[in-house]
Amino acid sequence: MSDSTLAVTERVVRTIADVALENEFYFAELDGVVGDGDFGLSLANGFRKLMDEWDTLDRSSPGTFLKKVSMIITSRVGGVSGAIWGTGFMRAGFAAGDKAELTADDVIAMLRAAEEGMKKRGQSDVGDKTLLDGFIPAVDELERVLKSGGSTQEALDAAAVKAREQTEVIKPWIAKRGRAAYTGERSMDTYDAGSIAVAVMAETIAASWPEISNP
Amino acid sequence: MKKLMNDPKQFVPEMMKGIELANPGTIKYVPEYNLVMRADAPNPNKVSIVQGSGSGHEPAHIMVVGKGMLDGACPGDVFSAPPMDYVVESSKILNSPKGILHIVNNYSGDRMSFEMATEMLDMEGVTVKTIFVDDDVAVQNSTWTVGRRGVAGNFFVIKAVGAAAEAGASLDELVELGKKVNSRLRSMGMALTGCTPPAKGKPIFTLEEDEIEMGVGIHGEPGRARKKLASANEIADEMLEAILTDRKPIPGGDDREEPIFHEGDEVALMINGLGGTPISELYIVYGHVHEELEKRGIKIWRSYVGEYCTSLEMAGMSITLCKVDDQLKELFTAPAEIPIRVF
Repeated sequence: MSDSTLAVTERVVRTIADVALENEFYFAELDGVVGDGDFGLSLANGFRKLMDEWDTLDRSSPGTFLKKVSMIITSRVGGVSGAIWGTGFMRAGFAAGDKAELTADDVIAMLRAAEEGMKKRGQSDVGDKTLLDGFIPAVDELERVLKSGGSTQEALDAAAVKAREQTEVIKPWIAKRGRAAYTGERSMDTYDAGSIAVAVMAETIAASWPEISNP
Repeated sequence: MKKLMNDPKQFVPEMMKGIELANPGTIKYVPEYNLVMRADAPNPNKVSIVQGSGSGHEPAHIMVVGKGMLDGACPGDVFSAPPMDYVVESSKILNSPKGILHIVNNYSGDRMSFEMATEMLDMEGVTVKTIFVDDDVAVQNSTWTVGRRGVAGNFFVIKAVGAAAEAGASLDELVELGKKVNSRLRSMGMALTGCTPPAKGKPIFTLEEDEIEMGVGIHGEPGRARKKLASANEIADEMLEAILTDRKPIPGGDDREEPIFHEGDEVALMINGLGGTPISELYIVYGHVHEELEKRGIKIWRSYVGEYCTSLEMAGMSITLCKVDDQLKELFTAPAEIPIRVF
């Protein structure tokens, strides 16, 4: 990475926030099919609040920055999804510790920590038709490409493709967690809003990586 | 909606400001985190005890902040769990070398917020332990919970750990004590009317003139059944029966505990008003429940009749029984000094 890790971290979070804000109604519509339709709206509320406080965030290290992000989005994203997204950022921040610069291995460790935290918070795992079914295979793919000597760009592209594929793989499934689970078989043949959000975020990060890593 | 208020958004902050002004020198209000705290907290020789929950249940919990009870309460908005940052920042303000005890009523939103806050505080080197309260026998799961709900019985948990903390108990001892009190608590509630959260402007549910909600939760979540209104004695009998025959599920399987109240036991008996029921009606219920318990050979050691945990202006009441022993009797009668002086 040619730019400082903190600046890259900021731009990644900023990209995720932009996706949440631009797709507010799209995600809400997806969630409305089987959930209560508030996922897109509450996610956007959290990131909107983050944008309001963007300039005042503690930037002493990438880890501290991510913990602060977690606090803010959790304070505005209602219910379980707020806690799950917040836990992801929080655990990634913990894993980063006080390090000023992060290696590829560090980033993988942060994503794995986020994964563990989200599993625990949602008492959920792959196979339940949640965002984890997009997130975890995408991180697997990212790690595989990086470990086999691929570039960051190649790894991100592969992860984004995987995340998108997964939204189709899990579409026929019956949701086992979240509000969608209450609707039982009605959740079959519907997209899971959380995993679609993960796919759009992964695609956007991959597509804008040249600007994110070296503007 | 007809309420004494200025702006629905300021409902909770203005109430908190009132509590601070009414208790000069003893209560402090920290607006950034909805925190109402003892002015003399934290005390380095005592574990600090913090409760969250939503607002709208007053006097729970901001009006039971004081010597011998809570060190602070940082509720969310009306019927909303506090956001994680309220819990984190309030706990840091109240941090004591002896540690922080969180008391959490078992609702999903509260659990998540406190569990995340605990992770955050652990990373920052603040020692936190948590007691979960789940005294409601009405339903096993509900709209907003996995497992049983924590309702008015949390008063007894706060009173016991508050007194023990004042006497110097360690954080681990308080956790054990809290679990003990919770294991001896059973509650059930019923509603005659719904209630209107200020920001919502409309009742959260409506009951017909001749209907009641039996087993209602403290935010009006549905209970066991919507029923025809009956006499006070009949309603109390049904609730008491549910409490006395209750077999609490044991986590992690299909097994259940045996009923906990038996002939020869001594109990604390609480008849709690939900906000819109006159105290006269609470004493009508009390009298009958008292006699029914005595008939079964269960002795009422101490009575608590009034409003302890409400749902805004909802009419209705809940019954709580807490089985006491010498340790709990001493803790329940230990002195306490709080804004609402209900004992």
